[in-house]
Parts: sequence; C-alpha cells; structure tokens
Amino acid sequence: MTLNIAAVGFLAAAVLAAEQATATTDPKLAAMLEAKDKSGKTIITQDERTYFDSLNDHLKELLSHAVQKDVITRPEHLGILLALQLRPQKMELLLQNNCVLCHSDSEVQTPEDLFSLASNPQSSPAHMNLKDLVEDVHFRSGLSCAGCHGGDPTADVGHEFVKEWPEKGRIKNRAWVVEFCARCHSDPSFMRQFNASLPTDQLAKFKDSPHGQVLLVKHDDRAPTCVSCHGVHGIRPAKDPQSKVFAPRVPATCGACHSNSATMAGFTQPNGAPLPTNQLAEYRTSVHGRALLERGDLGAPACNDCHGNHGPAPPGVASVSHSCSLCHSSNASLFEGSKHKQAFDQHNWPECSKCHGNHAIAKTNDAMLATKPGSLCGDCHRQYAKDDPKCIETANYFHQTITKMYDAQKTFTAVAEKLAAKGLDTEPIDNQLTELTDTLKKSRTYVHSFSHDTFQQAAQPGEEAVKQTGVLVKKAREEYKYRQVGLAVSIAWIGLLMLALYMKLRRLEK
Amino acid sequence: MNDPEKGGEQPRGLRGWLDRRYQLTPLFEFLQHKEVPLGSHWMGWYYLGGVTMFFFIVQVITGALLLMYYQPGEATAYESIHFLTTKVPFGWLIRSIHSWSAHLMIIALLLHMFSTMMLKAYRPPREVTWVSGYLLFLLTMGFGFSGYLLPWNKLAYFATTVGTNIVRSIPLLGNWLLQVLRGGQDVSINTLYRFFAAHVVLLPLAFVGVIVLHVILIQRQGMAPPLGAKAAPRGMKFFPSFALRDVLLWLACLMVLGTLAVFLPYGPGIPGMDWELGQKADPFAPAYAGIKPEWYFLWEYQLLKEFPPHLFGLEGPQVCLFVIGILFGIWAAIPWLDRRAYRDRWSPGFTDLAWAALLFLTFLTLMGWDIGAGGAGEELTAMHNVARVCAWWTVAAAAVVVVVRYWRFQHRWFVLTGAVLLQVTLHGLMGLSYLVAATISLVLAAIAIAVSYFMGSTPEERRSS
Repeated sequence: MTLNIAAVGFLAAAVLAAEQATATTDPKLAAMLEAKDKSGKTIITQDERTYFDSLNDHLKELLSHAVQKDVITRPEHLGILLALQLRPQKMELLLQNNCVLCHSDSEVQTPEDLFSLASNPQSSPAHMNLKDLVEDVHFRSGLSCAGCHGGDPTADVGHEFVKEWPEKGRIKNRAWVVEFCARCHSDPSFMRQFNASLPTDQLAKFKDSPHGQVLLVKHDDRAPTCVSCHGVHGIRPAKDPQSKVFAPRVPATCGACHSNSATMAGFTQPNGAPLPTNQLAEYRTSVHGRALLERGDLGAPACNDCHGNHGPAPPGVASVSHSCSLCHSSNASLFEGSKHKQAFDQHNWPECSKCHGNHAIAKTNDAMLATKPGSLCGDCHRQYAKDDPKCIETANYFHQTITKMYDAQKTFTAVAEKLAAKGLDTEPIDNQLTELTDTLKKSRTYVHSFSHDTFQQAAQPGEEAVKQTGVLVKKAREEYKYRQVGLAVSIAWIGLLMLALYMKLRRLEK
Repeated sequence: MNDPEKGGEQPRGLRGWLDRRYQLTPLFEFLQHKEVPLGSHWMGWYYLGGVTMFFFIVQVITGALLLMYYQPGEATAYESIHFLTTKVPFGWLIRSIHSWSAHLMIIALLLHMFSTMMLKAYRPPREVTWVSGYLLFLLTMGFGFSGYLLPWNKLAYFATTVGTNIVRSIPLLGNWLLQVLRGGQDVSINTLYRFFAAHVVLLPLAFVGVIVLHVILIQRQGMAPPLGAKAAPRGMKFFPSFALRDVLLWLACLMVLGTLAVFLPYGPGIPGMDWELGQKADPFAPAYAGIKPEWYFLWEYQLLKEFPPHLFGLEGPQVCLFVIGILFGIWAAIPWLDRRAYRDRWSPGFTDLAWAALLFLTFLTLMGWDIGAGGAGEELTAMHNVARVCAWWTVAAAAVVVVVRYWRFQHRWFVLTGAVLLQVTLHGLMGLSYLVAATISLVLAAIAIAVSYFMGSTPEERRSS
C-alpha cells in the first residue's frame, strides 16, 4: 500500500516535472520577448505577446529552435512572425520552413527577396507579401518553397536553386512558366494526392487557345501565363473570395489586359478588325455584370463561363447559342425548333447575340417585340422579311398579349395592395396574380418559339388569370361597399337609439 | 317609501318577486338617492371612468368571440388568426374592434387617471380608490403586453423579445424572472402559452376583482366633490340623469369604434398602433431594424435608450428600471404624499406634477417615435435631429399648456413644468445628454421648491385661503 502511494507520488512528480520542462521558455527567446527599444518600450506588442502565450508547447519549442539556430535573431523579426496570428497548423508549417523564416528578416534580406507584412509596393514586390504567402494553397498543402525553388527548407542555410528554370531571360520570356506549373498540374496521379477533382488538362487547353498561341508560338510576352491570373506566392483556390479567379473578380482579372489598349495593340479578330478593349466596360453595364458585380449573384456568368478559362477563345457563330443555353436552356430549345433558326443559319448570324448583344446584354423589354420603326422585330422584319404580313401579325400578337398581361399585373397589384390595406381578404387575388406573373415570365420565354400557336398555348393561363382577377377585384370592392353600408345602417340605428334615450332623459328631467 | 313595515305599498311584478326574496329595496333606494356632485370643474371628467369600463366590456365580448377561433400553438396561433380575419364572417370586424377598443381603453384610462390627479379626487377618504385605479392601470398594461404576442407574427415576436429582455436587468431576480416570463431562455411557443393564459384567465380574473372593488368604492363613497367643499353645492341624480348620459356616451363610443374598425381595420398605421398580421413569427429569422413596442410603452423604451451601458457601477438598464420603479412608486403613493390635498387644501405642486409628468411622457414618446428622423444621414445626427424636433414639439405643447393654466385657471406654480421644459431644452436644443440635462433640471427644481417652501405660501394658497 505504502509502495503504491509512493509510486503514484513519484509518477505525479515526474509528469509535473516534464510539464514544467516543456513550458519553460528558452532564455534567448524569453530575452527577445522582453527586449525593449531605445525609448524603453517593449518591442513585442501586447497582442503579439498574448498570441505567443496562447501557443502550444510544440510551437514554442519550434520557435526556440529557430532562435537557437539563429534563424530568428532579432525581437523585431520575432514580432513580424507573431503578428501574423496564425492558427497552430499554419504556424507549424511556417516555423518548419527556414526559407520563409530567413526571407522575412529585413536585416538580412534585400527588399526584392524580403517577405514583408507591408502591402506597400514601394517597399517590397507585390508577390513578396508574407500574409499572402501563408494563405497560399501550396503553402497550406505543405508544398513549401522547395516545391518550386528547390533546395531543402529544413537545412540551416544555403540554396540549391531550381534547375528547370532558364538561367537567362526567365523574367522577360515567360513561356517556361506554363510548362513549369504543368510538371505537377498535368500529372493526374500527383494531383490526386491533393485534390482529386482538379482537372489536369490546363496546359493542353492553354496551348490550344489564343493565349497559348501568342505565348508559345509567337513568343509574345504580352500573353498571360498561369501566374498572370493565379498570382505567384498568394495563390488561392478559385472558390476563395480573395482569389483573383473568384467569379466576381474574374472580369477585373481578364480586364487588366483586355481593357488596356497598349497591351492589346496589334491583336485582331478573325475578320481582321482590331480586338476591342471595351468588353469590361460593356460587361459592367450588362444584366450579367450587374448581377455578378453589384448583387454578388454567383450564378451570373463571368468572362470564363462563355469563353472558357485555361483555353479562352471567343465562341464561334455556331457555339454562341450553346454558351447561352447552358443557363437559358428553354429559350435555346424553343429557338432551335423555330423558323428563325433556319433564317439565322442562312444569314450566318450568331443566334442569341444577334438580338441581345454579347458583352453589353441589356435587360429585355416588351417594346423589343413591337413592329413600329425603332423596335427590334419591326426593323429586322422590314429589312429581311420584306414586311411579310403574317410575321408582322405574329409579332403584334406577341406584343399586345404580353403588354396586356403586364399592364393588368401592374394595375391589379396596386389595387390588391389598396384592398388589403382596407382589411379585405386579397389572398385569392394574390394567387391569381402569382399565376399571371408566372405566365408572363413563361410567355416572354415562349416568344423564342416565334410561333403564334405555341405562344398562345403558353399565354392562355395568364389571359384567364387576368379575367379571374378582374372578377375577384370586383367582388372585393362589393364586399367593402357592403361593409360601409352595414356601418351606415348600424350608425343610423345607434343614432336613433341615442335620440330616443335623449328624449327620454329630457322628459325625465322635466 | 314603499316600506311594508311603515305601511308603504309593496312593489309588484318582477321587482316585487325579487324584493321578496333578496330584499333589494335598500339597494334601489340607495341608487335612487345617489347623486353626482357638481362643482366648478367640467362635468365631462366624471364620464371617463365609465367610458374606460365600456371599452373593457367590449374587450371581454370581442375577446370571447376571438377565443372561439383562436388556437394557441406553433402551427395554429398565426393560422387561426389568419383564418379568422379572412374566412370567418365578420371575423375581421371582431379583431379590428378588439384592437381598437384596447387602444381606446388605454387612452380613456390615462385621461381618467390624469383628470383624477388634476382634480385631487384621490384625497381622503378615496386613497384606496386611487390605488385600485392604479392597479387597473398596471393590469391594463399587462393586457396590452400579453395580447400583443398572441397572433404570433413577426413584429409581435421581436417586440416581445425586446420587451421581456428588460426584466433581465432586475438585480438578483432578473434571470429567474425572464425564465418565468418566457418559459425558457428565449421567446418560444412556451412564452405564447404563458401569455395566452395570462391574457385570457389570470389578468381578467385580477382585473374583474379590482374593478369590482373600484366600482363598489365609488358607489359607496360617491364621486369626489370639488376641492374645499365638504359636500357638493349641488348634485345630479345618478339614476336616471347621470346613468342615461353615461349610456348615451357609450353609444357614441360604439359608433366611433365601429367607424374606426371599418375604415382603419389595422389601426392608424403609426408605429406601436398597427396590428396588420404580416408574416408569421420565425424564431430563427434575424431581428430587423425599427422594432418598437406599443405606443404606451414607448416612453420606457426611449428612457432605456437614454441610459449609458454602465452608471454608478451598475448596468445602465438596471439604473433605468430603478428610476422607473421610483416614478411608479411616487405615482401610487400620491394620496399620501399630497399633504395639502390630504387636508382638503389647494396643492398646486401636485397639479404641476401631473402636467410635468405629461410633458415628460410626451417628450420621451415623441423621441421613441423617431419624430424628425426623416432624411437624416448618420445615426448620431439622426438622434440629435430627433431630440431637437421632439423638443420643439414638446416646448410648443408646454407653451400652450402654461398659457392656458396661467390665464384660464390662474395657476402660478410652474416649478416642475419648468424643470421638464429646461431638461427638454438642454437635451433637445442644446445637445446635452438626457441624464445630465435631467440632473441639472432636478437640482434646480429642488432648490426652487426649497426656496418656495421657506418663503411661505404660494399665490394659489393665499387665494384659496
């Protein structure tokens, strides 16, 4: 029994001693934490110190190790690392990476080689931001500097710079970059280790694209490489809102070159005309641009949704409708079976964009269907269908039916609101208005059938809803009138009763 | 008169039948002889109690009709009210009358209470009548608060969340009381069950008990005669003259009620007086801006906002609740605090207190309504704008009140009204914080009262003596 107690006591003492040993901070590190500047102020700020205290023993040990090995030599350098306030997993990656530790010390690095916290491009190159680096998808996956640069990040000091990089002209001629990234990204078995769903055909697509042709065939440095869109040390997944290829940031990323007339000078379209530089400006005003950039609707298309990403190219005449139909499938399907399909093919017109435009797609309006001069249908028909009366009649029918439903919807919605405010039950009216709204939407889609009968079938429930709503509104108004009459009768009765009481009172008081 | 023992004629018919069994003659005789005192003041004030009771009766009748369809429950409360107002014949009318009548009852009750205060009708021997009336006032607030949640719509849910949260600030008991009130940590369907039970059982039982006491006391002691007169110089027969006038007024109220219910079925559309059903409550939906309590709670809501998060080492809301508690305590104890009225003498200070209380409530209520916030940009600027515009309205109202009191009623004691006006000016027009302005005003008022006390009697006192 006594022996047991002694053994337990010994074990407890041993555990406590072990904890004491790990919790003890290295004297050199402790000195750095307490170091003061010339004005007597502690160099490590309170936030940094609090962060340090919250670190687990393993991370403190890694920090001590870096200090003992003179990778971290100054309290200012230690402060920079603590100021990142990284989560333990990332901090561990950072502390095991001697390259970054060394290249984040401004005392021993030139500004070009220094990873700094500053986001000021004057003090260090944009791709040398320490905060970006620790968020880099490669860094987070454990692919340290050595993955691209070579060398041993755990070695105390020294470089073995990457052999695959061209020794000369690698800054000016960037064609090597795509092949360099593709060493891993075109290798399915390698990529599977990190992200099995990531495609590995980027290089093949790129080579086939105008970007690839310009870079690899014409050796024109204005063409983009992987890093032009994805960044260098701060590469983030495409779904990360801070990524340069996150959907709402794609237009600006593409526009960085495509809106720059100097960069785009000399590039031409297939017909020989100069490549325009107003796509971004037009896109911003379009329904798609406003949905994506102003409302943050990630379902709205960015440049890459129509043009592709790693193999971007303008969709050809035949493929415009295929691009659009990825989202607007009903419209595309109706158009495919319409008379217009044949006519458009004969004229070699790009289907959707002929009426709706491409980058500056505006919100459609019902006036487009009118037949008077200045309207889309009317103008085109006068020129190409030679005022075929049947076509004009169909267009007029579309326009009138939709306008009638739209006007009725607007009027009845306002009436329903007023009736609801008067306390009437407008639920049946609201139900009919919902039917009308749905049919209106459907009818606008069915315009793309360019067929009187098909459109009529789609619009019929809406026309019925207009009639029903009219009946219900009339009924609600009658109900309100009934209430008013009821009130008037009640007031008359109460008034008579009051009069009788008053007469009685007067008689009694006499 | 018809005393059989004195050889009088025995009543016949139903009255005789009842009288033989229940000896009602003394009661009838009491009522026949009962008189309402007439004095120097307007007689209309005497009808306000009756009008309040009329609205309460309407509440009971329409409430019973609503109960026939209302089903408390997560999936039924909102739906049953929706069904009642859209599908049940005249269901909309019953709900509309119930809601309008609730608000009109509170207006009538407040008018009744303040007129009693101004006429000093609380003086002996009617102290208990005042206290019972005060209890009825509290119970009516309880009716309003508990009834608000019952439709289980979005506005009611969030307003109740904000409202019940206030009790959390009560020292020591706060959390426990919150649990009791809500039936859990948050407002949930358990809260609805509690509020429903309170609204249709507990509060009506308490209310009927207190109102019976209140009416018995009034019938027993009669209405208060004008100040200074031990007995009324002349009177009006309660039966039939006063009672028939009462009924005439009730019928007029019924007309007004019906008209409002038909033309404004969801209320006048001002915050705190709007009962459109809207959307169903969703405990998981985020709270939205502009949640306001009913108009009669707005002054407390605004006063809570005027307190900083911490004051005197306590939480701001705790101090605020303490202040509100003191104000309510003073109001309840007025019959004992007003020593001059106790001795049947003119008490201008307490008349002024009533007017000051009205102006104090007006300023806070207007601010609670965000009057003057339209078009303001920054939140702080909006707050200043609201305080400024509300201050001007309050000052304008006060100017009218003071002029009328001075010229029409020859009042000469305005210390408390002045203190409230000073506070309104310092806060609303000069930008001082509400509490600093209140402190300065209270200190100056205290000095003025002390000076007035040591200087001797007031002009009114001299006049009355």
